[in-house]
Amino acid sequence: MTLTILQSGAQTLIMDAGRSGHRHQGIPGGGAADKLSFAIANHLVGNKWDTPALECALGGLHIRFNKDCVIALSGAQMWSQNQGLNLPMNKAVPVGAGDILTMSFTRAGCRAYLAVAGGIKAAPFMESVSTYLPAKLGGLNGEALKTGDVLEIGEVKGDIRSLPNGHIPTLSNHVVLRAAKGPEWEHLSNASKRYLFTTPFYATSATDRMGSRLKGDQVTLKQPLKMTSSPLLPGSLQIPPDGQPILALADGHCTGGYARALQVIQADLWLLGQIAPGAAISFRRSLSQEAEVILRGKNSYYADLIPGFSF
Amino acid sequence: MTSVSPTISAYGDHAVLVNWDTDGFSPAVNDIIHELAVQLRESAAYIEVVPAYDSLVCVFDLAARSFADTKLHIENIFARHSFGTSATGQIIDIPVHYGGENGPDMETICTASKLSIDAVIAQHSQREYRVCMMGFIPGFTFLSPAPEALHHPRLATPRAKVPAGSIGIANWQTGIYGLESPGGWQIIGRTPLSIFDGNRDTPFLLNAGDRVRFIPQ
Repeated sequence: MTLTILQSGAQTLIMDAGRSGHRHQGIPGGGAADKLSFAIANHLVGNKWDTPALECALGGLHIRFNKDCVIALSGAQMWSQNQGLNLPMNKAVPVGAGDILTMSFTRAGCRAYLAVAGGIKAAPFMESVSTYLPAKLGGLNGEALKTGDVLEIGEVKGDIRSLPNGHIPTLSNHVVLRAAKGPEWEHLSNASKRYLFTTPFYATSATDRMGSRLKGDQVTLKQPLKMTSSPLLPGSLQIPPDGQPILALADGHCTGGYARALQVIQADLWLLGQIAPGAAISFRRSLSQEAEVILRGKNSYYADLIPGFSF
Repeated sequence: MTSVSPTISAYGDHAVLVNWDTDGFSPAVNDIIHELAVQLRESAAYIEVVPAYDSLVCVFDLAARSFADTKLHIENIFARHSFGTSATGQIIDIPVHYGGENGPDMETICTASKLSIDAVIAQHSQREYRVCMMGFIPGFTFLSPAPEALHHPRLATPRAKVPAGSIGIANWQTGIYGLESPGGWQIIGRTPLSIFDGNRDTPFLLNAGDRVRFIPQ
């Protein structure tokens, strides 16, 4: 039971829920950058939500299935076809042996998730098969998938499912992130404190799974900050001396030496995976009590539908 | 023991930063940080516990606990735990080939410090270092300060590739590259030991809290 990569698109990686708990060793949690879309794709084909699946950044993936199986696509919007017929997103679909699936490039969002009933088989490192390119860990030999790669599919364990309307997130090329104060917030100039929440920023081409360099109004500090390297988290907005912020993403460095101005709230971390180069990014201020209410609300919204999943 | 007490503040909505306001590097504070990290990790209540030079970050699930819970937990550890009683980490000898092709920036350090190669090697290898944090990439080992004579700024333009095992200096810091990666530290030597190997049963040779001695080869 296998599938063959005919064209890997911009970047296709094997991902699961990641390997958390190792940042003190310099290993980021990583895993599916958009955990929600990844969980939805798995859920639809009857897999447990954290079963290994394919994460395809910016689209362009072409695959041949070597046996009948059931698949689901979720996440970034694109036009996909199986054997030339349009393929619906966010729905479990049977495909036949020899079928060829093609994805266009994405038109909204950044990453699409392709789940196959039974899951993709790969050798785990530190209990996760998630690919971490900088250290060549997980995935298929620690690398992005390429033409000719053949992936094994696991044993089917569950029946296909559907999700009620309203549970599929609508992705856009304007990503709005709710954020709370980071540790060095007080070091920002008063003007910067205001416009961080009012003007949009743009994700530059220096955007990958590690981080996104943003472009926009210059963010300034009251005075230059001499910081000793300190831990850094996904969703932290760092301000380097040139004033162009860097947003740390799923594979972001575990430590950093720039001011940490904002931290995206836990409930919105999944959206970090949908920042494509060129996307507009707005930050909205979130107070701590509000963040907890939002998180509880979102968790309970999905809890009964996708067993074990939480934001 | 030190009288410096840390500030415990929110790092966004789902993490806590414990920060010590030390003037330069403090071995006493770093000892406390690693003991605190062990205590917090043993509680199994956190997603990540990340110790650094003069700070520690603790990541929690906001659906399971709050900033207030976590702050109280840390305060209780400070109230009840007697720091300095439990030994942290192992002592590990690291063989090093200093200078030559293993240490392309040795001459820079010699010129800046007005020391001979032998004197730089003697200075760098005379002290026991502690592993203060691991980091920005897997296996990158940040050590406690190098002797003052050897302090030197980073390269103006980072190298595209620094071999795994390279030992470098950046200002007062000294450290070991666990993996081949781009880097801007002044490289003075290299160890043949593999600091990080994903295929090994224990991928990491060193952990934060360990102590390291450099043995010139």
